Amino acid sequence: MRIRTVALLIILFGMLVVLSLTYAQNAPEASEKGKQVYENSCAHCHGVEGRGDGSAAENLLPKPRDFTRGLYKIRSTETGQLPTDQDLFDIITEGMPGSSMPPWETALSANDRWEVTAYIKTFYDGFKEAETPPKQISLSGKVANSEQSVETGKALYSELGCVECHGNIGRGDGTSAPDLTDEWGDQSWPANLTQGWNFRGGSDTEDIFKRFVGGLAGSAMPAFEGDSFPGFGLTAEESSRMIELDNKDEMTEAEEEESAQLYEKYDAAVDIALNLAEGTELSAEEKQIYDDAMKVVYEKSWHLANYVKSLMPEKRPEPAIGNNVLRSQYVQGELPEMDDAAWGTLEASYFPLVGQVVIEPRQFNPTVDAVNVKSYYSDTEVAFLFIWDDRTHTTDETDEETGKILEDALAVQFPVKVPQGPTAPKPYFLWGGRLPVYLWHWKASAPEQVTELTAKGISNAEVQEAQGELKAQGTYTEGQYKLWVKRALKTDDKKDLQLDPGVFVPIAFSAWDGANGDVDTKRVMTSWYTFVLEPVPSSKRFVYPPLIALLSVGFLFGLRAFVQRRNSEEV
Amino acid sequence: MKSYLLASLTILLVCCYVGTVFAADSDAGDMEMLVFPENYKAMAVNDGGTISGVVKFEGDVPEKKALEITKDEKVCGADEKFDESLVVGEGNALKNTIVYLIDISAGKDFDKDAKVEIDQKGCKFTPHIQIVPIGARLTMLNSDKIMHNVHIFSKINKPVNKAQPKARRKMPLKAVKKAEGPVEVKCDVHGWMSAWISYVPHPYFAVTNEKGEFTLENVPAGEYKLGYWHEACGTNSKAPVAVTVEAAGTVTQDFTLKLK
Repeated sequence: MRIRTVALLIILFGMLVVLSLTYAQNAPEASEKGKQVYENSCAHCHGVEGRGDGSAAENLLPKPRDFTRGLYKIRSTETGQLPTDQDLFDIITEGMPGSSMPPWETALSANDRWEVTAYIKTFYDGFKEAETPPKQISLSGKVANSEQSVETGKALYSELGCVECHGNIGRGDGTSAPDLTDEWGDQSWPANLTQGWNFRGGSDTEDIFKRFVGGLAGSAMPAFEGDSFPGFGLTAEESSRMIELDNKDEMTEAEEEESAQLYEKYDAAVDIALNLAEGTELSAEEKQIYDDAMKVVYEKSWHLANYVKSLMPEKRPEPAIGNNVLRSQYVQGELPEMDDAAWGTLEASYFPLVGQVVIEPRQFNPTVDAVNVKSYYSDTEVAFLFIWDDRTHTTDETDEETGKILEDALAVQFPVKVPQGPTAPKPYFLWGGRLPVYLWHWKASAPEQVTELTAKGISNAEVQEAQGELKAQGTYTEGQYKLWVKRALKTDDKKDLQLDPGVFVPIAFSAWDGANGDVDTKRVMTSWYTFVLEPVPSSKRFVYPPLIALLSVGFLFGLRAFVQRRNSEEV
Repeated sequence: MKSYLLASLTILLVCCYVGTVFAADSDAGDMEMLVFPENYKAMAVNDGGTISGVVKFEGDVPEKKALEITKDEKVCGADEKFDESLVVGEGNALKNTIVYLIDISAGKDFDKDAKVEIDQKGCKFTPHIQIVPIGARLTMLNSDKIMHNVHIFSKINKPVNKAQPKARRKMPLKAVKKAEGPVEVKCDVHGWMSAWISYVPHPYFAVTNEKGEFTLENVPAGEYKLGYWHEACGTNSKAPVAVTVEAAGTVTQDFTLKLK
């Protein structure tokens, strides 16, 4: 029976190989090697014909790129231009952080990556038809990062409308963020500019500059090519003046004339830019006007890039393992309330979240990057501050497919009983199993309430009958949740976790972003991490060490006296 | 163990194969497009005729759908806005239908003085349907003094996705070379904003007004196929109506459309 099954499968396999080869003969001509690499490594997501519709594409967001339209987000080239071969090669090599595109640096040889680069280009005729190489963005006018440049960039961030999607301080929480779609009609979340590690194509100032100037073709991010800047063709001072005049409720006659003159210069420069874009030859004079205008635009773009760079930490925080384990700090008396300045002095521990992909329904496209945690404890209580970015504040959306209520939420998971010793088994990280877990469940719709749960599996959670006296306070501002929770170290409930200083306690998190369709098992989460109530160094340290030192000194003196006496006796 | 490996490989291949079969069929959406002649030559037209008519809607008129204004309420929410994909007026007159000649190869030139503009006012595109001659610049106006973002979902020409910051009152867009349409125009900042444009190679296109009326003027005498397109009612591009235009004559051709 088994042999027959295997034989049948082999036959089926053979037939499919033949079928796929027959099919492949219709594909455009390219190097056979590139095609082979593509079909082995890329086609599952990008589709055999490069339409971005491979068998795995359905579950992915951002969707795999459709190569047939020549629209590429990550380029070193100007707006509307195709990418260079090097651009494509680099993306294959480095992958697209924050999406499902992995880096292929180790999985494919450099030669294979070049072959597949050539093959991908065959999906779009524009590559073949192009008469000149794509025009690259010049980085020569780079403006050095300075406080003043960042300030100028900040003003531009508001003037150009970046806030509409990226939010006031860049967390991707602008009021238009939930409505954005890409060129294919799929949801397209604006970048959280405070998380540079999730930037596709890198987060160096040069990378940010190139993304901004060249645009992310195909995404909802518009191109800010030259004439998108209000006052294109004017000097920085002139354009500020133009905008200033625009914002006046009433203009004097002189001001009106001044405004009209500025507009005339502006319109003329726009006309020249369009002529150039449409392929009209420019006169030397026009070329000069255009070059001058672009110089101003590029300079502004560098300021903006410097500002965006200033929004993110230099590198991704280290996860809360090893030396970064979450250590709750001891304070005497009352624990700090949510708004207490004491929280500002603590360094947060960083817990990266990943999509839950073990159990249906899964989350393949997480939108919450991580949860940051700080903690204090006293002789009787422990307080936590949980901080995480979420682009939208969702409390009661209804999921169109399932009818379920979608809302933002966080769950903090502990074992009910702390495993004794590092090798003792912990409960299964997906909300327990044979060994139960103890959970705090917080929902955005009831920000002052944390519910205690006991769970023996991700779909097997029960609200505890006895709800302890947990205090909670949750806020949402500028794309960020803050949740403060306080509980007694010891409780009477056997289903609760009991806390003692110095004991390493497993801790894990789940988060739900309602706007991303998260509900039930569809969520982002961590596996087990560790936290500890950092033991207070004993006050006896001021007593014993000096005492021992004193005794030692005394002993030495005694010894000296004894030896001296003996020596004198011997003489 | 080996059989598992083979089984998973087989499944993988089946998936890929099935995927490609389906992918090959995905061009079906093009049915909704306008049809353009391959070549068009502008010439002087003497004694041209006129094609006119009225487009009416047949069926239960759905209730007007109010648009949900989710941001910039002060500017966008000053008056109530309705979905414009189906605007039915008095006597079932159907607004915003494109009526056009499908197979004309020579005729009048475009009116070079005509303004090709769409205004963004009160966070609404006006007009809802705009005809853009190829080689002409579509100018986007911003009467709102707030940020808009012009996103034209072209497939044949390069898509346009261009920010129009609040200080940008007037934004002419690069002329395109290829006929295409209709394609949707959206504003990414205000998701409810929607308009449709068509890049056309000849001037025999009309858009019906509130009374459902259209007129195509100065048509050289001859036999033509007359087509229509409506956002909610579809198109007859595959089975257009034949009309015969006589020198200086007038032909009347009415249409009655249903929801597609």
